[in-house]
Amino acid sequence: MAMTTRLDIETLRRRISAIGERPQSATGQPARGRAGSRPARTHGRDAHAIGGEEHTNFHGRFVLQEHAYGNERMHGQVPIQRLQAFKPGWLTSISAGEVPAIDPRRWAFLDTETTGLAGGTGTSAFLVGVGAIQDDGFKVKLFFMRDYDEEPAMLHALAVFLADYDAIVTYNGKSFDAPLLETRYRLKRQANPIARMCHVDLLHPARRLWSERMPNCRLGTLESEVLGVERQGDVPGALIPQRYFDYVRDGRAAPLKPVFHHNVLDIVSLACLASVVLPVYAAPHKATLRHGQDLLGLARWLSKLGKWKSALDLYRRAIQAGLPSSQLFRSLWESAHLERRTGNSTGQVQLLRDLSRVANIYRAAAFEELAKHYEHREKDFGRALKMTRNAQRFAPSEELCHRERRLLRRMGD
Amino acid sequence: MTTQLRFPIDSRQAKGAVLQQVPSPVASRDRSLGGVVHRFEALRQRPNSPVAAIRTRPATAPRFAGFPDSIDPRLRSALKAKGIERLYVHQAQSWDRIAASENIVVVTPTASGKTLCYNLPVLNALADDPAACALYLFPTKALAVDQLEEFNGLGDALGSDIKAFTYDGDTPSDARRAIRRRANVVLSNPDMLHAGLLPHHTRWARFFEHVRFIVIDELHTYRGVFGSHLANVLRRLKRIATFYGSRPQFVCCSATIANPRELAESLVEEPFALVDDNGAPSGEKHFVFYNPPVVNEQLGIRRSYINEAKRMAETFLERGRQTLVFANNRLATEVLTRYLKQAVGHPPGGQSPVRGYRGGYLPKERREIERQLREREVLGVVATNALELGIDIGSLDAVVLAGYPGSIASTWQRAGRAGRRQGTSVSVLVASSAPLDQYVVEHPEYFFEGSPEHAHVNPDNLEILVSHLKCAVFELPVLDGEAFGPHDTGELCRFLEEAGVVHHAGDAWHWTSESYPADAISLRKITSDNFVVVDVSRGSSVIGEVSFPAALTSLHEKAIYIHEGRLYHVERFEYEERKAYVKRVECGYYTDAIEHIQVETLEGFDDDRTGAAVANHGEVRITRRVVGFKKIRFHTNENVGDGKLSMPEQEMHTTAFWLHFPMEFLESLPYSTTAKRDGLVGLGNVLRTVGSVLLMCDARDLGVSSLSSQGGPEDLLDPELFLYDNYPGGIGQSEPLFRLRNSLGSKARKLLDACACKVGCPSCVGAPGEVGEQAKEVALLLAESLAETGEERVAP
Repeated sequence: MAMTTRLDIETLRRRISAIGERPQSATGQPARGRAGSRPARTHGRDAHAIGGEEHTNFHGRFVLQEHAYGNERMHGQVPIQRLQAFKPGWLTSISAGEVPAIDPRRWAFLDTETTGLAGGTGTSAFLVGVGAIQDDGFKVKLFFMRDYDEEPAMLHALAVFLADYDAIVTYNGKSFDAPLLETRYRLKRQANPIARMCHVDLLHPARRLWSERMPNCRLGTLESEVLGVERQGDVPGALIPQRYFDYVRDGRAAPLKPVFHHNVLDIVSLACLASVVLPVYAAPHKATLRHGQDLLGLARWLSKLGKWKSALDLYRRAIQAGLPSSQLFRSLWESAHLERRTGNSTGQVQLLRDLSRVANIYRAAAFEELAKHYEHREKDFGRALKMTRNAQRFAPSEELCHRERRLLRRMGD
Repeated sequence: MTTQLRFPIDSRQAKGAVLQQVPSPVASRDRSLGGVVHRFEALRQRPNSPVAAIRTRPATAPRFAGFPDSIDPRLRSALKAKGIERLYVHQAQSWDRIAASENIVVVTPTASGKTLCYNLPVLNALADDPAACALYLFPTKALAVDQLEEFNGLGDALGSDIKAFTYDGDTPSDARRAIRRRANVVLSNPDMLHAGLLPHHTRWARFFEHVRFIVIDELHTYRGVFGSHLANVLRRLKRIATFYGSRPQFVCCSATIANPRELAESLVEEPFALVDDNGAPSGEKHFVFYNPPVVNEQLGIRRSYINEAKRMAETFLERGRQTLVFANNRLATEVLTRYLKQAVGHPPGGQSPVRGYRGGYLPKERREIERQLREREVLGVVATNALELGIDIGSLDAVVLAGYPGSIASTWQRAGRAGRRQGTSVSVLVASSAPLDQYVVEHPEYFFEGSPEHAHVNPDNLEILVSHLKCAVFELPVLDGEAFGPHDTGELCRFLEEAGVVHHAGDAWHWTSESYPADAISLRKITSDNFVVVDVSRGSSVIGEVSFPAALTSLHEKAIYIHEGRLYHVERFEYEERKAYVKRVECGYYTDAIEHIQVETLEGFDDDRTGAAVANHGEVRITRRVVGFKKIRFHTNENVGDGKLSMPEQEMHTTAFWLHFPMEFLESLPYSTTAKRDGLVGLGNVLRTVGSVLLMCDARDLGVSSLSSQGGPEDLLDPELFLYDNYPGGIGQSEPLFRLRNSLGSKARKLLDACACKVGCPSCVGAPGEVGEQAKEVALLLAESLAETGEERVAP
């Protein structure tokens, strides 16, 4: 029954009694002025301490930082130059047609640093980074509020900036960054610039490719596993909110600086990851993926989209590239289905036979499928009966018994 | 499970129980309720009759008012299509007040058409403006589901495209988005508003921009701590509505309490108009007070009220009368269910016509029982207060109250379940030997002529207010000069700043913590932390859920857990997992846990000499621990064994009123240490009874403890007698007790003087078997010592 997060109620009662239970005045004004009660914190407002430039707009002030990554630079094993090769149609293919073709110069790669993950109206994005492709490389702008009263100016500037872009590319932005920014704009009674933009979230496409092979699909993991980036002296994401809270209280910029670097790296990694993921979805048959498991993820996605021929092609490549046995059997089973759908029953039977020969979880099902094939398409009831009985050896069922009886009846006709 | 069996209302097959005991109110073959009432009346005439009172309320005719002209013609014809041609006067009055832009609180009995009082203006607003929105708050999810059907019935008749949805913990996440986007009417509960809606108000922007009405049904449930929380949630709600430019009107409905308008005004902090002129008709109603006869004069022992309640219920059931039996706790409910199931029997192969009902049953099972009651598929239900709220179960013929429900309001509310619009109904209160029960049954005028209780809330309780202020800052920055409650909000924010959760920037306080403050605050007394009961007799299935504090006393290892009268032995109690594994058994006993309560003072706020003692009020820490259990044989209530237990402690900080008796005074009394201690325990029981009457609160809102804080229970060093607020943080009852300390003493003395027992009885200090032979004598002496300095200084 002990209360959780209990305040020190005795201290509070003493404080309240200390102010003499003075009621608020009729105007609702507190019975005291509040200026001068807190330690001076002027150095926190110094744009130089944190880096970047102070900007002013109709809503007030905020800080803007810019970071340029020239085409000559490498990010891990990815040359920044590669970002120049982005094609307008790539967002269309990865979104299965949802997003129209958009000039890559009008894509904004966006990531936020927030005061927590709890969600709701009490979580703010204190730093919003946006990366964009330019002729000479990749440029990241960081919109930063030095304190909560700078949020309206920062949001406004971000909106003005995004007016030149038509799509945002994020990592988990559909469930996190975009709704968070929507909330912030609504709270500050400003129009949400993202509402009119297309949104491509790379999390799900990346998961499809790598969830089997990677321990997780966090951006940090893919950054080191796929892009080969090793971060030095990075600040763990979990510590970021507290760093910001400390900064707004004591104004010391040094502990917050790594957060800016962290955000810039996230955005550059996001763009470089896009340079790996987007072409794969744009031209799956040309995908330069080396791992069977990665190809398998792509094959399944194509199959779901109804692109059976391309899917089959990728299943074959995945199987050739080598798969762990459990995934191998699943791939054989799934491609057997695709073979049938594309009208290649010879191919289907071939694959089902393969599956029926060795111990695996699809063995009984393979026999059953073969039974169906022989019964309905080949009208070879004797073989169908044999397959049915084989299936029953591994997984007896009411249905199989029924099939057996029916076959016996048909054979007797 | 067969649900097709419709139990005949005048069943000839219903197996009558043998009523061999005398005095039985029913011996004839007369099957009418009138006959039962005649038997009670005859019994009333006997000397030492167990029937302490019978009151009859004659049938009343309906009083109508015409349709107000201002009702939209489409709505008027929709109502006509539903057979509503006229309004009852209270419905028409509600309409007029709402039309005059007032907030209203409607107080009329169960089944008087109260919901139309709010559905009418809401539907009218929707007929006028299809974008209009309304929020309905109910204390339980079940009530919201119930009322959704009612609302949709009317909305469909109106034929327009009105979207009403329940929104609570059970709403699937994919449905939530659609509800936020489209709902006109959202039926929810305060807990969901607190933790789900308000902290995410931007997602509800459309709703808050168009919200016209806030409906708060079952207003009387929001008293004490729960009400104080709700008041603060409403402060937050109003802030958010203001942010979106809305200023909704409030419509509250309440069961009968002494101060409905005051309660509405303290919860909403706006003026309210009271609508209480009930125009709905009612049939003739009888209310019988029954005090089980004394079987041992000297020891003051009465016949078991559980057995007597069972006998009363049988009387009605064997006449085929649909009957609801209310018991005051889980254990009594289950024991009664079992007794009645055994006594009534059931058709071969069919389901028992008697069922149990309480909060611990799974929602699906509860919905089924409610439906069976409405459709008359069950004849008798034994329930806890879980059925006291306005869930639609239709009206019943008879209600048996096994024990006084603890308050006048609650008693009327439960008794109100009996009463058809036409025909006779009967309610019987069977008093237990608890002091308050005995007081009420022997003083029927206290109940029949007395006012129902006042509902108290203390929205400005600092602990509660500050926790909601945190949520408020989370939801929207708190501007300088903005007031959240009457305390200095800026000062409170500076306190929160020191705690590191808010920060001042510009002209406002902002939330600076990663946490989600609403998650840390539970609006109800009990944490939402539940134990589930897993039946492992065959496979494993979840059969119930038990609240945290109740789990420790009812699901400890070796306990007999009872569900719908079936017995289960607790095999394993997994505290960390919050699970208890039980197995079906048949045994002749049930278990009752033994709990030790310890009180420790933390800080005194004020003290004053009161006669020989010193009265105090302040903060205390209550530690409860289940130390063992008793095995009690069914029917005879013999103690047939016991066991020791080692269970985790539960701690609660609260406020208390206490009396300190100096050693030198106690030493001057010519009694043994044991007798003195018994006297203190006895005085504690008396003070609780008197205190709950003085404060018009539920006796269970006050905890009593008289163990001395130093030394073991056998010592008597500077003993203190505590009456504490039985809620974490306190609900502000200690301060008035302190203020009324002189009345408390003199009323305790009067109660002891007036009690006719020789050496104490359950109506005053407690039965001698519990508190010892000299308790009454010593308690009286102690009570007199309180009043020595004389006059009443402060009027209540």
